[in-house]
Amino acid sequence: MTRKDLANFGEKLGQQPWGLWLLQAQRVVRIEVRRNLFSWRATWVFFLAFIPTVIILLHTLFQRHPVMEISDDTNVLAGIIQIYYIRLGIFFGCLGIFSGLIRGEMVERSLHFYLLSPVRREVLLLAKFAAGTVSALLLFGSAVIAGFTLIYSGFGAAGRDYVFNGPGLSQLGAYLSIIVLACLGYGAVFLLFSMMFRNPMPAAMLLFAWEVINPVLPTLLQRISVASYLRHLMPVSVATEGIFALLTVQTEPVSAWAASLGLLMLIAIVLTYSCYRVRSLEIRYTSD
Amino acid sequence: MSIYKHSYRAYTGRLTPVWSRVFVLVRYGFSEIWSSKITIVLFTLSLLPSIFFLFGIYLANNPLARALVGAKNVGFTSIDAGYFLAMLQIHCWLALVLTSWIAPRLITFDLADNALPVMLSHPISRFGYVAGKFIALFSSLSAITWVPCLLLFCYQAYASPQGWTGNHLRLAAGLFAGALIWILFLSILGIALSSWVKWRMVATGIIIAAIFIPAGVGGVVSGVLRTKWGMLLNLPITMSLLWQRLLGAAPSSLGRRVDLPTSAIVFSLLLAAVGCVAMLNARIRAREMVRG
Amino acid sequence: MNDRIIFDDVSKFYGEVLGVNRITLSLPPGVTTLVGPNGSGKTTLMNLMTGLVQPSSGHISVLGVAPDNATEFFRTVGYCTQFDTFPRGLTGFQFVMDSLMLHGISAAQATKLAAQSLGRVNLGDAAGRRIAGYSKGMRQKIRLAQAIAHHPKVLILDEPLNGLDPMARAELLELFQELGRQGMHLLISSHILEEVDRISDRVVLITGGYLIAVGNIHQVRQEVREKPMQVIVRCQHPELLASKMFAIHHCVEARIHPDGKGVFLRTGDVDQFYSMLNDIAAEGAIKIDTVAPADDDANAIYQYLIGSDGSAS
Repeated sequence: MTRKDLANFGEKLGQQPWGLWLLQAQRVVRIEVRRNLFSWRATWVFFLAFIPTVIILLHTLFQRHPVMEISDDTNVLAGIIQIYYIRLGIFFGCLGIFSGLIRGEMVERSLHFYLLSPVRREVLLLAKFAAGTVSALLLFGSAVIAGFTLIYSGFGAAGRDYVFNGPGLSQLGAYLSIIVLACLGYGAVFLLFSMMFRNPMPAAMLLFAWEVINPVLPTLLQRISVASYLRHLMPVSVATEGIFALLTVQTEPVSAWAASLGLLMLIAIVLTYSCYRVRSLEIRYTSD
Repeated sequence: MSIYKHSYRAYTGRLTPVWSRVFVLVRYGFSEIWSSKITIVLFTLSLLPSIFFLFGIYLANNPLARALVGAKNVGFTSIDAGYFLAMLQIHCWLALVLTSWIAPRLITFDLADNALPVMLSHPISRFGYVAGKFIALFSSLSAITWVPCLLLFCYQAYASPQGWTGNHLRLAAGLFAGALIWILFLSILGIALSSWVKWRMVATGIIIAAIFIPAGVGGVVSGVLRTKWGMLLNLPITMSLLWQRLLGAAPSSLGRRVDLPTSAIVFSLLLAAVGCVAMLNARIRAREMVRG
Repeated sequence: MNDRIIFDDVSKFYGEVLGVNRITLSLPPGVTTLVGPNGSGKTTLMNLMTGLVQPSSGHISVLGVAPDNATEFFRTVGYCTQFDTFPRGLTGFQFVMDSLMLHGISAAQATKLAAQSLGRVNLGDAAGRRIAGYSKGMRQKIRLAQAIAHHPKVLILDEPLNGLDPMARAELLELFQELGRQGMHLLISSHILEEVDRISDRVVLITGGYLIAVGNIHQVRQEVREKPMQVIVRCQHPELLASKMFAIHHCVEARIHPDGKGVFLRTGDVDQFYSMLNDIAAEGAIKIDTVAPADDDANAIYQYLIGSDGSAS
């Protein structure tokens, strides 16, 4: 590529209607979040996100909290994040949210309304992805914050001390960044599945099985996994026995930056390919 | 237009018995299940473990065969309750995968295509409709659970010394009961969840999620509230305990730590089944109410 | 030609199944009706035009813009599809508003335009209700409202009169005619041939994925030379007229009208026929009340060119 080619490319890039695309993307996000999150149809995702919060609330209200149990509760919270949220809650939540963005609308025969609007298809796809991410983050992020707050509030001053003067806040920050990356990672993969397959569920179930057995695979294959990157970001190790060790075992150590960057690269590649595929998407509604 | 011919006559010929009409739905259910190539693939995969277990039984009872494959001096697996427990578990979990694929095919197509008013305007009740679908699913799951397990038991009985069968009849009963409980539960769960959503894709995911999400929630309950009762929501663990007790196998390390009463396990399964029946009652209707 | 809808040798195959084959069309402003039996390719043509499916070969442009340039294309095109499904949980107003917001229009302006288009299809009162509770006719109207809300220059309507009662049909037909007169392109697919007759400036006949005829109904009828024109003549002595017409060899068939006050005459040469009829009228022996073509309509050309089994004849 010559300097002239780069200059031309830069000029073309500058001439694109970025302002209009941004406006349209914002509106698609608003429409999608309103339709999919703030509606009765989203009840199940609220359940997935907040059921641990409700259980922690019961624990805070009705059980005693001697100070020596702070470390136990810290481990329990880490277990909830790593085993429940990453493996189950966010996995299935994102599966439902992101599969519904394209494939769900094809099944409901309503996708053509978007394709008949003056929104470029790539902008539409990325905006839908953003909407799904916003929905997932709003739910799971607030659930984690609420759970974290509740679990330490039961300890009174000792809990406050742990959070503000101890490792609490940095742990919360780590958990939230794990939630963000999990939502982005699973979201991108499920969005791609929904564009590649008429029924993305078998592929999703294979991914579920892959994520479970991932720790026992060779190092190279471990890189093809969302959960494997997230394991390295956990601030607290969770030790379990038996088959559940598969869900938590430490693998070859990787720095947090490398893990985050690796996952972001995976997300970028998946989204780029999805944008390529959406250009040739056709509306052929057949029976499911 | 005046009516003057009076030549129209309703059908007055022979009718089939009322009870047999459910089997029309069963027949159509089978045709729908087996019209998919993926069903055939999954069914074949589900029967593959039987071949490995069969081979294991053959080797365990045949020293010459063991010598031929070079396993003569290796301590070989004995065909006991633990062996049949592993067999039952593998077949039953594969039945879950098959259920998640075929249960939606039975119900969601009717819902998505708005066929329920047509189906239920025939002389068949809602119970008959659900029974037809249930029988189709139950029969398909039987073929990959208790049928191959009992056949393997029969083979072991044939290959083993005299007296083995009499001493191990409990295993046969345990295999049959364990598989039956599981596939009865899976069938009602699969049909209920498939009726709750109109789209097959979603139904497949929900059936799998319905097993694992409560397991996760149960783990959270046990961990946060420091109680073993959360494990009642963990179907993989409760079914393992139930099967282990039915077969009289030695409890695993997990089973020793999680000591749930059998009655509580059965009660939780019954409660879930009642919930599924309630879902079916709400969804299998000839009309749909739209509010607003 | 920036005021035309152009199909340039467009074909679409769904695997081995033919959708449309080598369609070349150039449609000016006005009302154009797509006529053809079920499965003939009308919806495929409309979906190709709007980019919902991609052509296997050929090019399409609408007012000089290709369908893959969504930003510019859908500002000027509105498509009322035949799919009777909607995003779940929306009211009629929300449905139209969401569509307008994607055009980049401000919320206030979008509200105004939404109210206008809902009023145009007489759904103003029901706009606050959920679409899931609408009748079939109301769902048809809300789809139309959404298609016209942004004031497109080209309106594509796939069987827009399905499910509507006679009053609603008449209102919408009047609306389509008015829009056509204002210079909009309207492309309508319809099975209701009487209505095609009433509103169309031109008709496109399609069957089995192939283009059969394009043009004004009367022009197309005249092109169908192998089918003699049928004329109805209302007069006092129809049997006398019939015998005179047979005598001058331009008439191939005569049938007395059931009420006995007219005769259907078929002729292979309509110009000579009218000339002879003038002469007969001038003789004064037969008083002729009216003369009119009896098969110069969409129904007739459909029957002649497509036939009752849907195949091209």
